[in-house]
Amino acid sequence: MTTIPFDHKMGAHCESGTVTALLNHSGLKLSEPMVFGIASGIFFGYFHKHKSFTFPTFIVRNRPGEIRKNIQKRLGIRFRTFSFRKEQQGIEKLDELLEKGIPTASQVDFYYLDYVPNWERAHVNVHFMVVIGKEGREYIVSDSYFPKPERLNEESLRRGRFAGGNMSPKGFLFFPENVPAEVDLRKPVLKGIDKACFNMLNLPVPFIGIKGIRLFSKRIMDWPKIARDTDHLSHEVMKINILLEDQGTGGAGFRFMYATFLQQAAGIIGNSELASLSTELMNIGDRWREISLFAARIGKNRDLGPGKMKELSDLILERAEMEEQFFKKLKQSIK
Amino acid sequence: MKEKEGFVDCPEQQMILYVEKEDGEFGPIQTGSFITKNYIDDYFEKRKKLILSLTDQCKNSEISPVKMFMVLEDLTIDELSARTRIPARKIKKHLIAKHFDNLSEELLQRYSTVFNISVEKLKQADPEPEAMNEEPGKK
Repeated sequence: MTTIPFDHKMGAHCESGTVTALLNHSGLKLSEPMVFGIASGIFFGYFHKHKSFTFPTFIVRNRPGEIRKNIQKRLGIRFRTFSFRKEQQGIEKLDELLEKGIPTASQVDFYYLDYVPNWERAHVNVHFMVVIGKEGREYIVSDSYFPKPERLNEESLRRGRFAGGNMSPKGFLFFPENVPAEVDLRKPVLKGIDKACFNMLNLPVPFIGIKGIRLFSKRIMDWPKIARDTDHLSHEVMKINILLEDQGTGGAGFRFMYATFLQQAAGIIGNSELASLSTELMNIGDRWREISLFAARIGKNRDLGPGKMKELSDLILERAEMEEQFFKKLKQSIK
Repeated sequence: MKEKEGFVDCPEQQMILYVEKEDGEFGPIQTGSFITKNYIDDYFEKRKKLILSLTDQCKNSEISPVKMFMVLEDLTIDELSARTRIPARKIKKHLIAKHFDNLSEELLQRYSTVFNISVEKLKQADPEPEAMNEEPGKK
């Protein structure tokens, strides 16, 4: 089997990068921010206790899989999906699709990807990438986190696809089956913005959206009591930087990418208010980045006393106020 | 963020960052990881200290190798249970050194698959496969 010709591009985020790459391959040219925005990707959720997390954490994007599902619903694209109870069936199906020349997205546990440096690896069951070929016992994958297509041992891919645990991939595969050559983006853009505003402002859950950012600000003061020791606390505080910047967000917890979406959306629907809101969000993103840098610095210096933790908490609370105002204006701008 | 502020020279970990370009348009640039470039040594230092502490506890039979790898891999009991398909109540026992010695080869295999190490490494509580020390630039 050879490699399917596929335009590999880096993306900010694995799911939006993968969906964008597959749509582009099928002839529908959309940018990653447009896919992310139409799919209402921007989000916030804080989890102080969760059976799958050893320490409190937060998310800055909607639930894994939602980007594909929302794009399907809002753009009228049909994705063919497969999940498997039996590993062998999952392996055979992927090989069969590759034989047919279909680049196929695969959900995997990031931890088992050979080409990822060890210090970056973590058990995350919701990493997406496109498998574009197989040579001998190696698959060729277009992983949007990496500058070029990578090779992955077939045993590693099997382990990644069939890892157990929370949000287990179950060998999940997908590819777009029915892609229109052109789509009127106006309605999907408005729907995407409307839903994002609802998620950030109105979801009646105390740890989601603006309420989630406020909860994060409050509960981070408890982190020193939960950590094993100072090194552990330092590690978890420095992870704030990773979650906001490094874990496939395009910077500032997706705020920069969403600002880019709003700028593009302003042109599509001819709404100049969206253009100014995109600039405002870019500035809010810069403020999130201040948190990233502050967290990295105090973590490195082990400067984690009550004073610094309070400072961090106040910075987060400030972002909650900013984002509440921002999303209210955004909601109003599309009425 | 302005484009010129976004560039970080870190070839070991490249990423996409959205920035404001000179013409006012927002768009992507390929750049490097700030935290990997500036703070990776700190991560390795903490990791080494944690490994030393856990291996000492293993040697003193205060914890089992399962507990050691569970901490190193940042897994909860529930998550480890779902991944190994071993009930959580049994895993709780396996975290204690004296129970670990009685584990069957099959259970050891299930744990070692999740921890991505050999059964021998698990038995020896050896958390230092060559790759664990891999540092940026040595990939």
